[in-house]
Amino acid sequence: MISKAESYRLLWDFALPESLVASQKWVLGTMQSCGPELITMLWRILGNEQDVCDAYQDTFLRLAHCENGIKPRNIKAYLFRSASNTAISILRRRLIERKNLPEIAAVQKTETTADDLDSNNLQQQLRCNIARLPEYLRQVITLHDLAEFSYAQAAKILGITETSARVYRHKAIQLLAVWMNKEEH
Amino acid sequence: MKNKETTNCKNIRNRLNKIIGDYLSFDAAWVQNHIVNCPKCQKRFSSVGKVYLAFSLLKSRPHQLDLLKQANIQTIDTLAHSVRHYEKAEKLKIARPEPRFIERLLPIKGSLANTAACIAILFLAKTGIFNSMEKFQANGQKAIQHYYEKQLGQDFSNEIFSS
Repeated sequence: MISKAESYRLLWDFALPESLVASQKWVLGTMQSCGPELITMLWRILGNEQDVCDAYQDTFLRLAHCENGIKPRNIKAYLFRSASNTAISILRRRLIERKNLPEIAAVQKTETTADDLDSNNLQQQLRCNIARLPEYLRQVITLHDLAEFSYAQAAKILGITETSARVYRHKAIQLLAVWMNKEEH
Repeated sequence: MKNKETTNCKNIRNRLNKIIGDYLSFDAAWVQNHIVNCPKCQKRFSSVGKVYLAFSLLKSRPHQLDLLKQANIQTIDTLAHSVRHYEKAEKLKIARPEPRFIERLLPIKGSLANTAACIAILFLAKTGIFNSMEKFQANGQKAIQHYYEKQLGQDFSNEIFSS
């Protein structure tokens, strides 16, 4: 079965156009230069290793097939925005799954100590609320606070001014504070 | 001219930002005094603090060392067959996250500074700046001695400068 799958894979590879193969070569270079930073950001958004690998794979495949293998103008911007969006979709899916299966959450709770629970709860609350933020605020938070880019770098990636980035982050923190405080009461 | 103006403008803006930042930060004395006496602001402050705490917890949680390797392997396996065995791809399959160049230099920061200082001194000695300084000092001393000779006389001047 595996050998059959492998042979299909090889056939698929021969069917790939030259331009696509060439594009996948520069994708490797991007993977080398941006990979570690991207993994850190995805790990902080998702907190689950398999989800991180899936989001990483999705992001690079999208990059390899973007506009028939033509390099985007700002690869870093494309990569981080795309990764952040993919990660947030996965996170939303996981949150829905968790809501629908409350018994899983109950089992997980009994297995952890009180301190772990507080810390995990706080992290989970933050993740849920980041996923609820409007896109323009969420992008700044993920880039500045989770990927640890400076305001200038985040603004360049998002195509906004540095001042706007600061204002958006401030708004996002205020919203997160209100939501997290509401959940507690 | 235009460049000078731009630099000046940038400096002023930076200085202004710093002053405003210092004055308006949570650590400013007047903000702290207000928070102590205002229950509403105490609540606001604690809820913002909670968000920052959650962020620091997220950041401090480490992932497995081989997560980068796993993610790379999974991604490379979905690329074209010819790309999968590329030299770069092979390297990526065993990649591990490494601290940045600046972070790696932090432990040897002190010795690097000392070495830079030594190089600077050597450079100054080599270019003869120290010699010129000595000459400048000797000439200055002679000029002052001459002045004293004129004003106070040879005996007084010799007494001062011989000691």
